[in-house]
Amino acid sequence: MRKFFEKSTPRASGLRTRSLTVPGPVLLVALLVLLASACSAKDDIPADERRAQELNRVIMCPVCPGESIDQSQNALAVQMRGIVAEKLEQGRSESEIKSFFVERYGDSVLLEPPRRGFNLIVWIVPPLGVVGAGVALLLAFRLLRRPVRAGDRRPPDGVQLSEEERDEYFRRIEATLDLEPTTGSLADGTPEEREKRGDG
Amino acid sequence: MVDAGNMALVIAFLVAGYVPVASFLGAWKRIPELTVSGRYGLYTVPALLAFATLAVVNAFIRNDFSVRYVAENSNLAMPKAYTWVALYAGNSGSLLFLALVLSVMMALAVLTIRRRLPYTAPYATGLMALVLTFFIGVMLFLANPLERLPITPADGQGINPLLVHFGMFIHPPVQMTGLASVAIPFSIAMGALLAGRGGRDEWVDMGRLWGMISWLIMTAGLLLGAWWAYTILGWGGYWAWDPVENSALMPWLAMTAFVHSIMVQKRRGMFRMWNMVLIIVAFTLAQMGMFINRGGPVPSVHSFAQSTMGWLFLFFMATTLVGSMAAFVWRMDTLKSRARLDAVLSREGIFLVQNVLFLAVAFVTLWGTVFPIFSEAAQGTTVTVGRPFFDRVNGPILLVLVLLMGVGPLLPWRRASPRVLVRVLRLPVSAGVITAVVLVTLGLRQPVAVMAFAICGLVVAGILHEWARGTRSRHRKGEAYPVALARLLAANRPRYGGYMVHLGIMMLAVGAIGSSFFSAQRDLAMRPGDEETFGGYTFRYLGVTSSEFADREEQVAEFEVYSGDNYLGIMRPFRTVYPSFNIAATRGAIRSTPIEDFYIVPSEFGDDGQAVFRVLVNPMVWWMWASGPMLVLGVLFALSPQRQPAPATLRVPAFVETSRV
Repeated sequence: MRKFFEKSTPRASGLRTRSLTVPGPVLLVALLVLLASACSAKDDIPADERRAQELNRVIMCPVCPGESIDQSQNALAVQMRGIVAEKLEQGRSESEIKSFFVERYGDSVLLEPPRRGFNLIVWIVPPLGVVGAGVALLLAFRLLRRPVRAGDRRPPDGVQLSEEERDEYFRRIEATLDLEPTTGSLADGTPEEREKRGDG
Repeated sequence: MVDAGNMALVIAFLVAGYVPVASFLGAWKRIPELTVSGRYGLYTVPALLAFATLAVVNAFIRNDFSVRYVAENSNLAMPKAYTWVALYAGNSGSLLFLALVLSVMMALAVLTIRRRLPYTAPYATGLMALVLTFFIGVMLFLANPLERLPITPADGQGINPLLVHFGMFIHPPVQMTGLASVAIPFSIAMGALLAGRGGRDEWVDMGRLWGMISWLIMTAGLLLGAWWAYTILGWGGYWAWDPVENSALMPWLAMTAFVHSIMVQKRRGMFRMWNMVLIIVAFTLAQMGMFINRGGPVPSVHSFAQSTMGWLFLFFMATTLVGSMAAFVWRMDTLKSRARLDAVLSREGIFLVQNVLFLAVAFVTLWGTVFPIFSEAAQGTTVTVGRPFFDRVNGPILLVLVLLMGVGPLLPWRRASPRVLVRVLRLPVSAGVITAVVLVTLGLRQPVAVMAFAICGLVVAGILHEWARGTRSRHRKGEAYPVALARLLAANRPRYGGYMVHLGIMMLAVGAIGSSFFSAQRDLAMRPGDEETFGGYTFRYLGVTSSEFADREEQVAEFEVYSGDNYLGIMRPFRTVYPSFNIAATRGAIRSTPIEDFYIVPSEFGDDGQAVFRVLVNPMVWWMWASGPMLVLGVLFALSPQRQPAPATLRVPAFVETSRV
């Protein structure tokens, strides 16, 4: 398990690197505990009020532009909220209450168009759109991909490496970057430093 | 001064109209004097508009009610400090303000491109001026803020009281500026296209700069609007998928896609055609936003009065769309990609998927916004497409986008082999899984919310891990940790600025997820002395005090609030009635901590002493507002100039005369 979190490449000089193994997950769990405690207020709402609120959020206030009766403080909205609460107490179902308002104010009183007839189109088009986007993406990938022809093994710019060679190559680069250079011109320092030391 | 201001507007219109003619002609016919003249013309417009604005401000200060705009938006009782708000509260004033800000930004933009893009600059200048001419023209002929009334009234109508709040001081101007500013990256891109230089990628640096500036302003506008709605409007929410909100969101989505895919063009010379189409789409959506805002066909809490002006904006939008697409098709052959896509699983591939998904969200938003119009036309009855539709359809797509935001920066360019993929995603995915497991253990049962938080954990872990790795790597060379981190960030500002922006978006996401899924509210009837408990808070209603002022009646309620046994303080929600405007404004009292907001709003005050209050506990909302400064910081950091190697000198042919300015 520890190996999973640490870097898999041992350093040439034998130094082991510690990743965020210890402080990371502990911090994460602590934050999550705080988060979870913040998200528990909903349990304080009595169940019937919760139902009423959910209904209020999907019924529009007919005289306010674009607000639900839950949002609006308009007198009519307050009245309608009262009606919703009353009918829930009487045992009416959600759809009955919605139909009650639709009879009086029309389909536009619901925040979601009723799923029948023409209005089904609202719901059909987005998935179609996503499918269309997916198709467009596939086409784009096709068009943009480097074309592979039968005899065309070597790409024009560079040598073809296998996966293992490529990974070994990168490992060596990383190892080089992490260490002080011991050979080569970089190790000698800048011209000024060399002069100071007295080297040529 | 009013007449002088009017004159300045007319001259501004003429000059702005001259600029495209001079610039295009000069570039086409290779007459350097004309392009220079056009450029100088553009520089003059801000000065003229500033003078006209001064005339309007002057009229407000002197209470000159002979000017219609002053009479409609102020009165003798209005404090002078509100002049700033009154300036853009009405249709005509907001147009003048917008034209002024836009002209200043455009002048700055031209200053930045005139030497770097000598071939593109004349076309870009001309295009910017065309947009400016439209705004000034609409204002001058349809909604002149300096228009006089036939009879001078004794007093004005006064300003809409809902507008008099700090949020209102900033949100509308920033939002309007953001939408209009899309014209600048659009003009640069189109200018390059028209000049035949679309395939040379030289415009990409400036396109990215102004694209990100535009994005930042739009983001600020949206965040400020959400914050204002939350703090002032009193329903405890911040986003309602209202048509005007949607119309501001859509160009933002397109611009977010653009600032990402433009990096692919910079890095690999790909997506050239796509970026052109994308910036055209972004600008079209921005224009549509302005159309819907100024009297479009869909009713909203936001719009200025319904007016015919909206249809002019629609016409302008259609014209620019058709013109841009024609130019695109004409110059399409200059836009062939330099490189090909090596693998779908690569940074470029992720960017392409991300782009498509952003446009999918924009499409769904557009669809939901305009469907009522279709329904009315087809069935005769109107329907409402509201929050449930948008949440249900856009929610999942946005969640996938957040996931891509975490994974994308970790992938290499060109190709990510499965081995690299595992190595790079190991830690973030582990963090995500841990998050999900811990949250479920702690009692969170909504699967979508848990998954959303898990994705947030994944993304944040990925970003912080990158920072930690880089810092550690520098530390091993001898720098102390804080120094290493600072130098790491400074050495690669676009990258780490981008990470900062992503962190800001994560703050926004966490706040949005927490409050969307776990907000709780109750409506409670209370008499003075009553005590209630909700969400861990105990609050006692002390009573209400009514005060009468010249223009309004205020009722302020007082609450003593405790959290468990800790005394938290007094909270004072209030309700104000403005009889002359027939408006009642409620202001909630909010106690905000990074964990949650406790929010009390008065619903109604009965005559018998009983009052109804709505009490809300909104988790994590604080993070949404805190993300603002983080986003600003990130963008500014990403755009801050780094020491570049000296650019190769560009041999400029004689016809592209570089003037001193």
